[in-house]
Amino acid sequence: MADEDFDCGESGASTTFPMQCSALRKNGYVMLKNRPCKIVEMSTSKTGKHGHAKVHLVGTDIFTQRKYEDICPSTHNMDVPHVSRKDYQLSNIDDGFLSLMDDNGELREDLKIPEGDVGKDIEKRFDNGENLIITVLKALDEEQVVSIKNVS
Amino acid sequence: MVSTEQRQHAEHVFLSFRKSKSPFAICKHILETSKVDYVLFQAATAIMEAVVREWILLEKTSIESLRTFLLTYVLQRPNLQKYVREQILLAVAVIVKRGSLDKSINCKSVFHEVGQLISSGNPTVQTLACSILTALLSEFSSSSKTSSIGLSMEFHGSCKRLFQEEGLRQIFMLTMEVLQEFSRRENLNAQMSSVFQRYLALANQVLNSPLLKKKKKKNQICFYDSKIREDSDMAQDSLQCLAQLASMHGPIFPDESAQVSYLAHLVEGLLSMINGIEIEDSEAVGISNIISNLITMFPRSILTALPSDLFTSFINCLTLLTCSFGRSAALEEVLDKDDMVYMEAYDKLLESWLTLVQDEEHFPRGCFVQPAIQVFNSYIQCHLAAPDGTRNLSVNGIASHDEEEINELQEDDRELFSDQLSSIGMLGRVAADHCIPLLTSLLEDRVTRLHGQLQRTQQHLMASSDPGSVDRKVLDDLYEDIHWLILVSGYLLADDPPGETPLIPSEVMEFSIKHSTEVDINTTLQILGSPGEKASSIPGCNRTDSVIRLLSAVLRTSEVESRATRASLTELLSPQMGKDIVWFLRRWAKTYLLVDEKLYQQISIPLSTAFGADTEGAQWIVGYLLEKVINNLSVWSSEADLANDTVELLVTLVEKRERANIVVQCESWWSLAKQFASRSPPLHLLSSSVQRSLMKALVLGGFAHMDSDTKQQYWAEVLHPLQQRFLNLINQENFAQISQEEAVKQEIVATLEALCGIAEATQIDNVVSLFSFLMDFLSSCIGLMEVYSNTPETINLIIEVFVEVAHKQICYLGENKSMKLYEACLTLLQVYSKNNQSRKRGDATAEEDQYQDLLLIMELLTNLLSKEFIDFSENDEVFRNQEQGTPASSRAVSAADVVLYGVNIVLPLMSQDLLKFPSLCNQYYKLITFICEIFPEKIPQLPEELFKSLMFSLELGMTSMSSEISQLCLEALSPLAEQCAKNQEKDTPLFIATRHFLKLVFDMLVLQKHNTEMTVAAGEALYTLVCLHQAEYSELVESLLSSQRDAVIYQRLADAFNKLTASSTPPTMDRKQKVAFLKSLEEFVANVGGLLCVK
Repeated sequence: MADEDFDCGESGASTTFPMQCSALRKNGYVMLKNRPCKIVEMSTSKTGKHGHAKVHLVGTDIFTQRKYEDICPSTHNMDVPHVSRKDYQLSNIDDGFLSLMDDNGELREDLKIPEGDVGKDIEKRFDNGENLIITVLKALDEEQVVSIKNVS
Repeated sequence: MVSTEQRQHAEHVFLSFRKSKSPFAICKHILETSKVDYVLFQAATAIMEAVVREWILLEKTSIESLRTFLLTYVLQRPNLQKYVREQILLAVAVIVKRGSLDKSINCKSVFHEVGQLISSGNPTVQTLACSILTALLSEFSSSSKTSSIGLSMEFHGSCKRLFQEEGLRQIFMLTMEVLQEFSRRENLNAQMSSVFQRYLALANQVLNSPLLKKKKKKNQICFYDSKIREDSDMAQDSLQCLAQLASMHGPIFPDESAQVSYLAHLVEGLLSMINGIEIEDSEAVGISNIISNLITMFPRSILTALPSDLFTSFINCLTLLTCSFGRSAALEEVLDKDDMVYMEAYDKLLESWLTLVQDEEHFPRGCFVQPAIQVFNSYIQCHLAAPDGTRNLSVNGIASHDEEEINELQEDDRELFSDQLSSIGMLGRVAADHCIPLLTSLLEDRVTRLHGQLQRTQQHLMASSDPGSVDRKVLDDLYEDIHWLILVSGYLLADDPPGETPLIPSEVMEFSIKHSTEVDINTTLQILGSPGEKASSIPGCNRTDSVIRLLSAVLRTSEVESRATRASLTELLSPQMGKDIVWFLRRWAKTYLLVDEKLYQQISIPLSTAFGADTEGAQWIVGYLLEKVINNLSVWSSEADLANDTVELLVTLVEKRERANIVVQCESWWSLAKQFASRSPPLHLLSSSVQRSLMKALVLGGFAHMDSDTKQQYWAEVLHPLQQRFLNLINQENFAQISQEEAVKQEIVATLEALCGIAEATQIDNVVSLFSFLMDFLSSCIGLMEVYSNTPETINLIIEVFVEVAHKQICYLGENKSMKLYEACLTLLQVYSKNNQSRKRGDATAEEDQYQDLLLIMELLTNLLSKEFIDFSENDEVFRNQEQGTPASSRAVSAADVVLYGVNIVLPLMSQDLLKFPSLCNQYYKLITFICEIFPEKIPQLPEELFKSLMFSLELGMTSMSSEISQLCLEALSPLAEQCAKNQEKDTPLFIATRHFLKLVFDMLVLQKHNTEMTVAAGEALYTLVCLHQAEYSELVESLLSSQRDAVIYQRLADAFNKLTASSTPPTMDRKQKVAFLKSLEEFVANVGGLLCVK
């Protein structure tokens, strides 16, 4: 969360894309208050019987899990973040950092063990010698480990 | 100050006091000496509870003396607090009730006593008598009002029957006696008037009681005069009495003439009452109830036998009243009152009109035409803006105009007011000569004004670029006028019965036929075919068919709307009006488009010429409707409801083969199909549900009649691109790598949505081709499950595709095809399970995602199981035989295998937290009960862990969920026990589990307070379990008995248990024995429940 203006200025064009509000869907993603959110609730309302629809969105920040809301005319465009997930094989844990290898055999060591249950689980299962696949969620140049699973 | 602990302690003292054994002496002492009301109340309660609990232990004489004591006690203390007195009388009533069961107390003598109290003439004593009667009535009548005294519903039911044979009539006679006496008196002082009111309330309760079968008839209660009206409570009661009297019919009357004279008497009284007063707000509902009961309950022959003057006065009075309530209801809406009494009264009266005119043939010809015109006019007037109407005008003529926030949960007027609109539509048909032309001219006028207003606004906007400066008031008033005119027109011209083909209403048909000789068909068609022109500018426009002209008026509205969108004035339009238009057109099309002459005795030439099969008119209008749909879908994508209504119109056009045949001849249809298939804008902006329905419509259209080349071309345009693009994508070598790219994800989501839409299009005659098309996708979808295993939203959508396919198609599939679908579902579940094994998620929506997945999986399993109940496939014989007979091992999979495998996945994931989602919890228990009932033989073969969690789920559901779920679980036990008995193997896990359940059900029935509704389900389970585990059952009984120290109770209990199983020793799984057991169980529970509660 270094500098939001910087994010938008340089990489905003490729990290999000516009979508008409009415085409958003529950379980989909949207930018609310400049944060990438998963839409958990979507409802419409109008002012007066002959008014035009407004969309009320509630979303949870996919990284911080905080809740955000927004309301806007349904014809407006909202920014939708490019959200992607990538699986890595966990090869080592070193000084709180994960060594992860992707399908092409490329290694990265820049991700910390996440806080909370998932982080503890990683350490425990890694110590048990389990072979782990780590899913990393990415949006707007932010990344986070969101799930782990044994290699099947 | 009393602290919470002190309060809790005090409560505890009272509660345990009430449970103490034989508290009679001490209670009497308390009643005689204590001065604290609350203590008196508790003493009365303790007596009541103890009498019932210890009934069989008490001497009959001591019960009798207790009752006398209580009555005398109350009589001697006129100044008791009301709640203490009522509680003591309730105790008396309960004693009488319990006594009536074993005939130890004679109700007659009780009524005799009360009669004496009444004839005393002393108002205080009379009040007391009234309280006794009220207590008896509520104790005996409805099950909701009876005290919970731990007796079965059966007991309460038989008391009710006994009571209604004699007691009720007695109460009514006593009440009438008092009422007549009072109504004869000139002046009532305050005390007497309060006694009067109490008896009036009682009379109301008696009349309301569903028990009242034979009763002393009419009895001139029309003393609804100024005396009573002053007191609003009394007025309410007497109006309700009157409403009850108005609904009296059937065997009460010796013959028809008695009924006619009763009705005449009632109507006369009613008319003189209504004409003599100015109705108060609080009286509107009461009066409309009287009228509505009268009209609904009395046979038509009795109504028509009324003297014709009286009948006419009645109808006139009803007409005036309806119009007046309608106006008052409109005022209520303007003032936004919380309590809409006039609206309620108006609804009632309109409903009565509907009942009357539906039976029109019984009444003198045309007698409803004038009233219908008046009611119709007043409805229209209330819904139009000034100057033609009075909408939004408050009493002093000031218009109010507020813009409230309306959320999506609020129903559209067409549903919210559907009852009113149905009645008004029906009245409009009765007076079609007046109403149809009226609607047409009003609508044509509004459309012309709307057109002008939009043009002026456009010019205004060109001059000043500030859109905020537009005054929307004039536009909104026009939209609201048009809104109501279209709704009324829709309800007048056509019905929309669910699941049936609606016919043109006979009144409308006759109306069109009657005028067809004056009509110029060519001009009519010209007006129809030129929605862009003003109707009145077309020469000869007054010689057109009025029914077609009304449709034309709606088409003109539609045209103004479409042109405004093309002029970029969409911002100024009303989405509500847009909805009204497509709603009307859909309703109209279902009934009038390609009118089938075979369905009618006579047909109107103008209608058949304009909309019949093979007419240019029909072709033209299909083309017009298609254009409308296409235009709407592109300009209104942001209005989800409007887009939905629009696509529903499209579905209506293609779901009937005859209509579809014309649709597919239109070029615009093909371009719509191509546009959607190529995912080019703007259709991709539509919400997912609209896209699904659009896909559904496009598939349905594909089954219309076309030559084979054309058909091939059509599918090549519509479905093949979908398949092609999908296959190209997933067959790319690097698909796994690019799968997270936005464009790829969007393509996948769009494909999955389309598949759901295709499944929705399934009909019995297309299922073969759609099934094989979808099956190809289903196997690819399983591949997608692997690729997107880390992407929950995609996984969810993939499962949904399977749910939809199973939901729409399984009932049509023969053996082989079912097998294929089972296999596909099984593989899906296996992959899902593998993906989630050992997975740990840390994101916020993990639980919500899992909840959605599980709900879908259970829906899928339930859909697959539904094949056991609903099966339309031809060779289902083969399918069934295989299910039952030969082991499924040789032949792929059976429904049972898939479902059990699915349960295997679902069960370990069903945490107690997840069960807190009510819908999930219900679906889950429905599913496992289903399984136990349908495949009990599979249960013993389950893997150990799965078996254990299934049993645990059952126990949990039985003991700590809602009573509905508890009942489901109990229902699952019998088939399991029967399965065990069939196998005759001891010491299997299921055998041991059922032994455990025996104890649970035993405790539930014998020791715990349970819902009496559950006794049957629990009893059935108990019986089969007892059959299976007779020795254990004896042990349970023995250990319960040995824990009793009181010899009397021990004996009673032992007797009760002996009696319980007397008819079924030794217990066998025989229906007759089981029924006998269930019967004695009810008595057992009633007796024992009380015994074991005594300390």
